[in-house]
Amino acid sequence: MALISSLLALRKDARILKLPPYLSALCIVVGVAWLLVLPLNEYSRNTYVSENALLPGQVHTYFTGSEHNVFRAYRHEVHALVNSPVAERNQRLGDILRSHNLKVATQRYEYHASGRNISNENVYAVLQGPRADATEAIVLIAAWKNMLDQDNMSGVALLLTLARYFKRWSLWSKDIIFLISGDSTSGPQAWVDAYHNSHDPAHVEHLAIKSGALQGAVALDYPAGPWGHRFEKLHVVYDGVNGQLPNLDLFNTAVNIANGQMGIACTLQRMWKHDDSYQDRMQTVFRGMISQGLGHATGPHSSFIPYHVDALTLQTVGDGWHDEMSLGRTVESLFRSLNNLLEHLHQSFFFYLLMGEKRFVSIGTYLPSAMIIAASFTITAIALWVQSGRPSTPPPNPASTSPPAKPSNEKEKVPMTVVKSGSSTAIIPTPLLTTTERPLFLPLTFLTLTHFLSLLPLYLFNNLPSRLLTPTFHLSLLLTSFLPLLTAYALSTTSRPTPRETTLIHCFAAMFLGMFLSALATLNFSLSILIGVAAAPMNFIRAISPSSSSSEWTKGTRRAVSAAQVLLMAVLNPLLLVKGATVWYGVDIGDILVGAAEGWHVWGLWTQVVVWLVWWPAWVAGGVVAATGLFV
Amino acid sequence: MASDQQKALLFGAAAAVRLILFTAFPSLPNLLAGRVEVSTPVTSFKRLQEGLFLYTHNVSPYDGGVYHQAPLLLPLFSLLPDPSYYPFATNLLYTALDLLAAQALVQIAESSQAVTPRLFKSSRKDLRWSSLAIAAGFLFNPLTVATCIARSTSAFTNLFILTAMAKASQGASITFVFALSLASYLAMHPILLFPPLLLLCYDVRVVKSKSTVDPLAFSVSHVLGLVVAAGGLLYMSALLTGSWEYLAATYGVRLLLPDLTPNVGLWWYYFTEMFDSFREFFLGVFWLHVASYMPGLTIRLRKQPLFVAVTLTGIFAVFTPYPSIADASLYLSLVTLFRHLFPLMRYSFLASATILYASFLGPAFYYLWIYAGSGNANFFYAITLVWSLGLSVVVGDSLYAALRDELDVERPELRGKEVTRI
Repeated sequence: MALISSLLALRKDARILKLPPYLSALCIVVGVAWLLVLPLNEYSRNTYVSENALLPGQVHTYFTGSEHNVFRAYRHEVHALVNSPVAERNQRLGDILRSHNLKVATQRYEYHASGRNISNENVYAVLQGPRADATEAIVLIAAWKNMLDQDNMSGVALLLTLARYFKRWSLWSKDIIFLISGDSTSGPQAWVDAYHNSHDPAHVEHLAIKSGALQGAVALDYPAGPWGHRFEKLHVVYDGVNGQLPNLDLFNTAVNIANGQMGIACTLQRMWKHDDSYQDRMQTVFRGMISQGLGHATGPHSSFIPYHVDALTLQTVGDGWHDEMSLGRTVESLFRSLNNLLEHLHQSFFFYLLMGEKRFVSIGTYLPSAMIIAASFTITAIALWVQSGRPSTPPPNPASTSPPAKPSNEKEKVPMTVVKSGSSTAIIPTPLLTTTERPLFLPLTFLTLTHFLSLLPLYLFNNLPSRLLTPTFHLSLLLTSFLPLLTAYALSTTSRPTPRETTLIHCFAAMFLGMFLSALATLNFSLSILIGVAAAPMNFIRAISPSSSSSEWTKGTRRAVSAAQVLLMAVLNPLLLVKGATVWYGVDIGDILVGAAEGWHVWGLWTQVVVWLVWWPAWVAGGVVAATGLFV
Repeated sequence: MASDQQKALLFGAAAAVRLILFTAFPSLPNLLAGRVEVSTPVTSFKRLQEGLFLYTHNVSPYDGGVYHQAPLLLPLFSLLPDPSYYPFATNLLYTALDLLAAQALVQIAESSQAVTPRLFKSSRKDLRWSSLAIAAGFLFNPLTVATCIARSTSAFTNLFILTAMAKASQGASITFVFALSLASYLAMHPILLFPPLLLLCYDVRVVKSKSTVDPLAFSVSHVLGLVVAAGGLLYMSALLTGSWEYLAATYGVRLLLPDLTPNVGLWWYYFTEMFDSFREFFLGVFWLHVASYMPGLTIRLRKQPLFVAVTLTGIFAVFTPYPSIADASLYLSLVTLFRHLFPLMRYSFLASATILYASFLGPAFYYLWIYAGSGNANFFYAITLVWSLGLSVVVGDSLYAALRDELDVERPELRGKEVTRI
């Protein structure tokens, strides 16, 4: 009881209000440091195959010998089709698949995004497994064009060869679907949408033939020309749309087979050289987080993952001594493993960060870092809430041992109020009767309006034609940079927010941000932590007003501190950060915006929703809070 | 009059928001109707349509084991055109329900029973929101809007509960008894609101009529009225469906919890995990727990009967077997009547932050569990616990504030001093 009452007494202590900024800083430092120690051996783990039905690399592979001649023939066939129109190309590819006694169908799709017309045709074939009852299927994909817009000739040829080869086996207990998609992102998306009947018939054709529930998908990216190309490594691409990941077991199986059975080295996240040092591990994690945070499609497999179909892309990289037959055997062995599955992949992790092909951390280990960073905003919000409820002049503590600041002979007089009730009368200090009410109307209206205002850029960037995107971006960069200053100025001239209202704007903005980020951390960890770190200085800016700052500060000092804060917030403008990142990586901002608009309309990408509806309003609120100090 | 104009503006804006949402996003109603947070097995519009289909094809609506709602809703909805082709009439009906409920809320606020009931004058009685602000808080509450768009039948229950409260606070006995019997007929648990609302009605009548009102005759007549009204509704239902079997499919389901579809409440997870042999015992315990608040609160807070009724709706939003966000929206809107208690509440920030966090994390965790397949039922249940915690903090804290308010009037010398509840 004594402990509780002493804790409760602590609540009233003014010193407790000084603590939260340090607490927030501690949270952010711990959150970032947490991430930095993950690559150490003590915190990460070696990967392992959890699902015992997979038995990776336990079968002998027979894809050799004369299949090689077949492959070379198909590669020339495919090469001959490179410049032919879509209908003729798919007719020919369909004929080849049909000649293997497979059921073949095509699917047209046509999307419109930022004034562009994305249209093409998928062709696919279904191999009905001899031991299957058409309830489950696995997919082999080769997009006609890979992510870099190269012709995926050897990939498509390998798919045709494997289709012929797989058809002659009697051991398949799942159907196998061979899909040649028109491109690497929209084509697979159209196909997988239509497979699950969640497509819009106005843009995407129905699928004429289907099989059972998809259990896994593997995409081939091997853009070697008609005379072949020997590769050094396999680049395993695993990021899905919106940062969802395939089950780690699928990734492990692919690496295990390629590495252990076939002797092909694997790499990930474009780490062409990886010597398993701390730096390389950290860089892999970081690239993985950027890719996950952006949430864009990274290959034909990406569209499958939102449908809970585990999928990855095998991409050949470098000059080495592995040929197409090694890749074919890898795929054969991988499909034999998937064929063994008794139930959907579920044993292993869905949330992980990979730091090498054989090392990872799971969600339990890394999630706290994002949560701690999100918590720093909540701590700030609570502190500001408490601060906003304080009376501007606190009543003197009668039990204080230190002498009062201004020496006075007589005891300071506290105004008293007489309260009568029936026959009893009581004298009560007046300050105890007045409650400090927080003015909630202006802060809440301001934040609601900011959130609604952010719908405008969200709509514009998703719907403007592509040639207008870059100018619009630069224009909004300019406008938003001055928006907080102008808003603060407008507010100060008209309704003049009191320091308490400014504190509450800050409080609610921090609370909403913390809330969104902690919810987001469970869905897309990387995006949450990236935004959290970028918005972290919001915890430390304060509205500077004569009553809130320390008494020695002159007006000039207050202005200077406010200006520094405004400058800090201006640097942290989400648009400026995006622009800076594109300059740093040497990408064109226009390409990013076109890709994002395509993602919005085709893949169901919602990264821009988070950026515009969560991050941007919080930044505006922070900027306004910082800028109010300039106008008092 | 200015306030009439403001009221028309407010109600018009609320209706416009709803109708725009209905027409601009035609897929939104079905999306929301499928959310477990909004539609429970006993309020879902999809299940109502199933029952309606069976009813219009002359099959007992309860045959499929899907429909668990009151039989009298069926003839009402069979009058409307099929909502899958002509949704406008249904949309209009639900919009009207919300507006009527807001009107009832305005009447409650204007009766001043929240601040100055007969036996008690709050020392902070000047601190209150205007009735229009309270109505706006109800009409523009995202939870209310979501319930309306999802066309959940809890909108009917909420309307009748609010009407019963409004009529009780005006002392209009007949409409009060009739509205409460309708609410109880639809959702069963509102019957627990009868004792506090009866006291409220009695208090108002005593103030209004100059002569004395005999408490015994008053309560006997009202209890009889309730029995007659509820009995009449039940008998009409039996006539409509041709048998008394609907009782098991409606109230039986609410009592015995055979449908364990997840919801925002606390029951479903317990009863999925529970061994069958303990089921009856815990059903009894859980129901006893819900019911036990009513007598205790009614006796302890005899001077503030409206506050008891409002607190009971908060308890329903947490502890009944099939709560949804509609129940929470009803409670949270009613709490705004007690603006004078807010300065005395100690955890308002904690509670509102908890409720906000839960309302964002809930859908995220449900998504992880059902769609992404990367979470499990514990994720969602954990967040419903947080949601219930937030609501029960509001309930407990407002209860503390009400008691403190009474203490401040009884013992003015204790104002501003720390007190401990024993």
